[in-house]
Amino acid sequence: MIRYVLKRLLFMIPTILLTSLIIYWAMDLAGGDVVGNMLPENATQEQRDALTEELGLNDPFVVRYARYMAGLVTGDMGVSYKTGKDVFKTFMERLPMTLALGGTALIVACIISIPLGIYTALNQNTWKDTTGMVFALFGVSMPNFWLGLMLMLIFAVKLNWLPSQGADGPKYLVLPALTVGLGLAALITRTTRSAMLDVIRQDYMTTAKAKGASHRRVIYYHGLKNAMIPIVTAIGMQFSLVMTGSALAEVVFSWPGIGRLVFESIDSRDIPMVTGSIILCCVLMSIINLIVDLIYAFLDPRIKAQYSNKG
Amino acid sequence: MSENILEIKDLVVHFETDDGCVKAINGLTLSVGKEKTLGLVGETGAGKTTTALSILNLVPSPPGVIKGGSIELDGKDVLQMSDKELEHMRGNDVAMIFQDPMTALNPVLTVGEQIAESIMLHEHIPMKDAFERAKEMLKMVGIAEGRAYDYPHQFSGGMRQRVVIAIALACQPNFLIADEPTTALDVTIQAQVLDLMKDLINKNHMSMLLITHDLGVVAEVCNDVAVMYAGRIVEIGTTDEVFNSTRHPYTEGLFDSLPNLKEQGEELVPIKGMMPDPMRLPEGCTFAPRCPYATEACTQTVPELRQVGGTHYVACHAYDDPSFRLRRNANG
Repeated sequence: MIRYVLKRLLFMIPTILLTSLIIYWAMDLAGGDVVGNMLPENATQEQRDALTEELGLNDPFVVRYARYMAGLVTGDMGVSYKTGKDVFKTFMERLPMTLALGGTALIVACIISIPLGIYTALNQNTWKDTTGMVFALFGVSMPNFWLGLMLMLIFAVKLNWLPSQGADGPKYLVLPALTVGLGLAALITRTTRSAMLDVIRQDYMTTAKAKGASHRRVIYYHGLKNAMIPIVTAIGMQFSLVMTGSALAEVVFSWPGIGRLVFESIDSRDIPMVTGSIILCCVLMSIINLIVDLIYAFLDPRIKAQYSNKG
Repeated sequence: MSENILEIKDLVVHFETDDGCVKAINGLTLSVGKEKTLGLVGETGAGKTTTALSILNLVPSPPGVIKGGSIELDGKDVLQMSDKELEHMRGNDVAMIFQDPMTALNPVLTVGEQIAESIMLHEHIPMKDAFERAKEMLKMVGIAEGRAYDYPHQFSGGMRQRVVIAIALACQPNFLIADEPTTALDVTIQAQVLDLMKDLINKNHMSMLLITHDLGVVAEVCNDVAVMYAGRIVEIGTTDEVFNSTRHPYTEGLFDSLPNLKEQGEELVPIKGMMPDPMRLPEGCTFAPRCPYATEACTQTVPELRQVGGTHYVACHAYDDPSFRLRRNANG
């Protein structure tokens, strides 16, 4: 098991290399006036040239990339062009906000979707099932930012129940978390429903009933534990959606997380900030995927056996 | 009080699907005596498993609907029981051994947990104590106690079927339903599992309904035999009666299609044709289209079970003629 984890951690290295190259290259192609963004409006051409030289922007792409990577290997992700602050530190300062938003959204999604998925599966092909699935279809097809704006319009502007901007306590979390969570809930509902439909036809469910287990026990003890494997897969795969969804919601609701950090950094061509943030997001995603895989082993003894065998 | 632990009368079970109504069981009547083993024999699709599930009131619904009849277990009608009574009965009074041990066990629970579950549910004792009892059950079916912590995928097919048997016997039910318990196993393992079951049944004074399509298994294990065709019993009697003075043409067909070791090289005689589509059952006797003795009368009305010997009953119009004999019996 430990060897498996180590192996997975090693696999992160090529991923990081490739991501950094693509991001660095993309930022280079995007162009934009890096120096102009950093200097006051009335800066002279000499000042501009001096800064360009100082940042090393005159060097060819390969040299700049190599220099960046040399820094990265020693753990130095550079400083922001805009604020002059350390990239890693800035990212880490913002990370808890995004994790809070993403985590809450995920919890909201699970609370809605897993019971709904089970309910629709148990009432397959009835109006209850159809209603649930229409909700899910609506949730999947609805763009995240539009939902965010609608929620803001209703609950913040019209009803004035909740704040629409900023992060000043738990109630500021409600609307962004709902925005991200509802889209996610739709997907998890569909997965839960199909996983449950598959499981309730299995022979071991009949075995459990024949033992005298109650309907509840058969569904939640025998069924759900088996259905959790595809459900966790879906959640794991949708985690990128949590991140991108959060990024959009952060911009819409002025939530000071990583999404908004990257968005603003791209806007101001803050190359070290963008590259560093995205590499760190990449590492974060890899770790989350690894955790999801480890949860499988916890849920399914057959997978655990596989991990141990392959080492 | 009757002598029978199980009495099924005129049971009708249909599966109502979008494509039509599948008539799985059409007026089935049978009974199992106390401490007796009844073999229920028939081809795939005859309705054997549906019969078994009906006894536990576990016919998957929808689409399955029990249309009529009664199933009395020790005098109580299963079809009238409340959910609570059913839960109490299942596993405690009646247990079932399933056909395929590969799929009958829950892959994410240890075998110990699965055996302990029924003990915990019916005796209302903590899981920890139930688990200790589960270990004893494992030992009883010939598996080392320590393996209680293993998962089903760590066992072979024969071992898993032993686990399934341990689950069924965990609460010492007095009636056991075994749905083709050896069909999915290797021949060598089949004998082991059958011996084990026979042994445990005798020891615990249980009655059993053994579902099988293997007449060899019936001869070895059962006191009585019921032959089932298209959702009805066509012949029922003691094993001796049915084997040695076979009355129904379908039963004769089953015997003729068995290989005979003494007369090697002789060609097997299969029963011509196929089981009728349960959505479109023929009028009259459902076996008539395949029956070599069929007459005009057979396609008109469904034959009722009639007594032809002590406890021997057959459902066949041919016996309207008192001189009728099956070919099998004519020479003997």
